[in-house]
Amino acid sequence: MTPETWTPLLLSLEYASLGLALAMALGLPLATALALGRWPGRDVVEVVVTAPLILPPTVLGYYLLVALGRSSPLGQAWEGLTGSSLVFTPTGCVLAAGLAALPFVVTATRRAMEEVDPRLLAAAATLGAGPWRRFRTILLPLARRGIAGGCILGFAKALGDFGVTLMVAGNIPGLTQTAPLAIYDAMLSGQDGRAAGLAAFLTAVGLAVLWLVNRWARPQRPRDGAT
Amino acid sequence: MIDLDLRLHRGAFPLTVSIHLAGAATGIFGPSGSGKSSLLHALAGLLPVDALRLVVGGEVLVDTAADLTPPAHQRRIGLVFQDHRLFPHLSIADNLRYGLRAPAGRGPAWQEVIDLLDIGDLLDRRPEHCSGGQRQRVALGRALLAAPRLLLLDEPLASLDRGLKRQILPYLRRIRDRWQMPLLVVSHDLEEVLSLSDELLLLANGQVAGQGDLMHLASDPARLELLHDAGLVCLMPGIVDHHADGLAWVRLTGPGHAHLACANCTAPVGSPVEVLLHPDDLILARPPIGEALSLTNRLPGRILQITRSPSRCLVAVDLGADRPVLAEVAERAITALGLTIGDEILVLAKAQAVQAR
Repeated sequence: MTPETWTPLLLSLEYASLGLALAMALGLPLATALALGRWPGRDVVEVVVTAPLILPPTVLGYYLLVALGRSSPLGQAWEGLTGSSLVFTPTGCVLAAGLAALPFVVTATRRAMEEVDPRLLAAAATLGAGPWRRFRTILLPLARRGIAGGCILGFAKALGDFGVTLMVAGNIPGLTQTAPLAIYDAMLSGQDGRAAGLAAFLTAVGLAVLWLVNRWARPQRPRDGAT
Repeated sequence: MIDLDLRLHRGAFPLTVSIHLAGAATGIFGPSGSGKSSLLHALAGLLPVDALRLVVGGEVLVDTAADLTPPAHQRRIGLVFQDHRLFPHLSIADNLRYGLRAPAGRGPAWQEVIDLLDIGDLLDRRPEHCSGGQRQRVALGRALLAAPRLLLLDEPLASLDRGLKRQILPYLRRIRDRWQMPLLVVSHDLEEVLSLSDELLLLANGQVAGQGDLMHLASDPARLELLHDAGLVCLMPGIVDHHADGLAWVRLTGPGHAHLACANCTAPVGSPVEVLLHPDDLILARPPIGEALSLTNRLPGRILQITRSPSRCLVAVDLGADRPVLAEVAERAITALGLTIGDEILVLAKAQAVQAR
């Protein structure tokens, strides 16, 4: 394995981490709103957020390109601000990774929060805790395992993203070529050893993640004493 | 002193309560589905209301008509739930601290609450490692430490078995006596509320069916069935006077010197107890009666009130104790004995039928 074998791996880890951060920044407030509130458009938002799970990656990539491409208003605004394009750059990779992680973060967070006994929140209110304090001291701590599980899964999914990354970020070695893309490249160019090494790495990460999620994010069994 | 005007509906079920409560502690009871819990949850701000005005000790806490409707966390109305609702991820100490109000000297002090409820040994534990009775005491302490202006107890003992109930009740009485905190206690069990308060509120079908002491509630024939269903009992405070022949003799507190013999009471001489009498177990007789009766307890008294409904008759008798005793008798017995108000009468009871605790 040469240093250039490692480059796509490092890029993948970097983009997946940033993508997860993006998904959490967006997903945690969204999941809280979905879990706690009844507001107009809630059902639509729910469907849109989870759509990346079932839509073909090329379809998602197409939408992202249309929305964020160099000729789109968003893309032009970003380019005007930062001087670089949103697409076919590392930013595109992070966006693709974030999109892959978002459904997992939102779904898991929402479910974990909905499982928190609302009667505990009511009790906290009668003890003088306002909405923010109830969120911070009751809801978040009691939902933390579920949230962590969703984030770990989201990270793994972001790490393995292929289609969307290819569509919006291209396949530029050393810049936007992440590990899954590098495997594809290696196979096409007959570098079987390289493909095997990268595949082994991604497999190891995936299995480790599943192990972690199963072990650590398992719902706590309530142990009830004498009641 | 509490003034309370409440209107709310849950689905098709309306709840309307308009009352003035003079005492510090009031017991609210009634059959399940009568709206007791809804009443407390609405006062605490956990249930939407159509209209609510709540004045405690001259202070207006809520008045929807004047747009004074603070959310639950700004009401400073404590609520202790039937299920303790301790926070499972926090230690007992952190649970107790959760609602602690900063300014010193306001509300019950930390150490005092802990001592009074005997929870000092639990502070480092998690709720899951406490027994049901311990958790309920912690829940009480947590509510007290939040220095509420009104404390609501929603069936605080319902999740506990009878033995544990008896352990917790004295703590509730201590809270009532120590801080004079306005207290509303809800229960479907009359015995529980009687143990805490003389002032009762009877709810049925979302309406106030009666308010006052037990004798007043028992004065209306329409209420007898409701009282019966709530487990009608008489609780009389007294002091263990002496033990003899395996019986404990209890002197009832009050102007008279009524003595009652109880089997199964091991409380030491001089200790305060509550004597529990079931109206079904009492027999009325016109004096004099001969010595040919096996009954130990023959208490002279005077009939205060007779309430007849088609299904049952209740006679209230003054024994010279703080509270009158209620006896359930057959209607034909009232006619046969010619009982009328003011009559001198003997109340008979087996020592086995008298409980003291």
